[in-house]
Amino acid sequence: MKRLWIAAAILAALFCATLLNSWYLRGFTRELTGLLEQAEALAEAGDWERADLLTRSAFEHWSSRDGYLHVTLRHSDTDLIHVGFQEVLEFIECQEGGEYSAANARLAAQIQLIYESEQLTLKNVF
Amino acid sequence: MVIAFLRTVILYLLIIAGIRLMGKRQVGELEPSELVLALIIADLAAVPMQDFGIPLLTGIIPILTLLCITMALSVLTMKNVKFRAIVCGRPSIIVENGTLHQREMQKNRFTVDELMEELRMKGITDLSTVKYAILETNGRLSVLPYANQLPVTAEQMNVTPEDVGLPVVVINDGRVIERNLHTRGLDRNWLDKQLAQHKLKQPSDVFLLTVDEQNRVYFVAKEAVG
Repeated sequence: MKRLWIAAAILAALFCATLLNSWYLRGFTRELTGLLEQAEALAEAGDWERADLLTRSAFEHWSSRDGYLHVTLRHSDTDLIHVGFQEVLEFIECQEGGEYSAANARLAAQIQLIYESEQLTLKNVF
Repeated sequence: MVIAFLRTVILYLLIIAGIRLMGKRQVGELEPSELVLALIIADLAAVPMQDFGIPLLTGIIPILTLLCITMALSVLTMKNVKFRAIVCGRPSIIVENGTLHQREMQKNRFTVDELMEELRMKGITDLSTVKYAILETNGRLSVLPYANQLPVTAEQMNVTPEDVGLPVVVINDGRVIERNLHTRGLDRNWLDKQLAQHKLKQPSDVFLLTVDEQNRVYFVAKEAVG
């Protein structure tokens, strides 16, 4: 019977850990997309300097969790977002309004998709 | 990650159900849960091993999940008879008193050809001599002939044959197994005498030499190459 409880405990721990990971990703991605949306609003108002600061802080926040992201997410997804940040920062530097908006929206969507693919929904399970 | 966990649970239970529905003869020697584990686990390990773009965790979590479910199922099947019947199934009586149970055969997708093949493999050609033929949960057929069809035992004949015990291999393809030699309380001198009796000089000329508990020797020399 001891083996049964050990197995059940490991299963429960795994389930909780995966749920915790999903919950953490939700907060993390919301924070990042929030920063990117704020940056876009500032850029539209012509404040490119603060838009740059906000995007850089989002990028730093992303990079600070690099190890965790690499261990839990597909590397192709994390690489895509890394490249996306570089692209958005370049457009801010060039102050290309249209190009920046498109790249920023794409980046925000990619970040959002990371959480959505981990979200506990019937759609994802099946 | 939570999706990988839930998918693993669902797929594992689904495949077990599938294997159970396929019938016992598909199972072979493994129980359904063991067969499913063997089917899935190798593939799960291979994918993150080959594709470096996939985190190792996506392989580790499903494997851990599978091992834990298998562990839980094995304990539950040991403790609970009803649960064991659900997961492993029950033995099916295919032949009873020489009569075929066709419904049981259909239920297990067990054909007459397969039954006859299994019986022939057990040295039985006449179905009417079979008291019971039972399809076990591991897919094997147990055959119990009528008492009058069973071979006569020494006890029934009031004979007390000499029990030779288990023969051990002392020389295996030219190699002396010292441990087995000493187990029988023998030594190299005894072995040299045996070789001399068979006009051989060294153990490498012997293919097989066994010694039973009565120290009786079974000897096979190596065939000449060429």
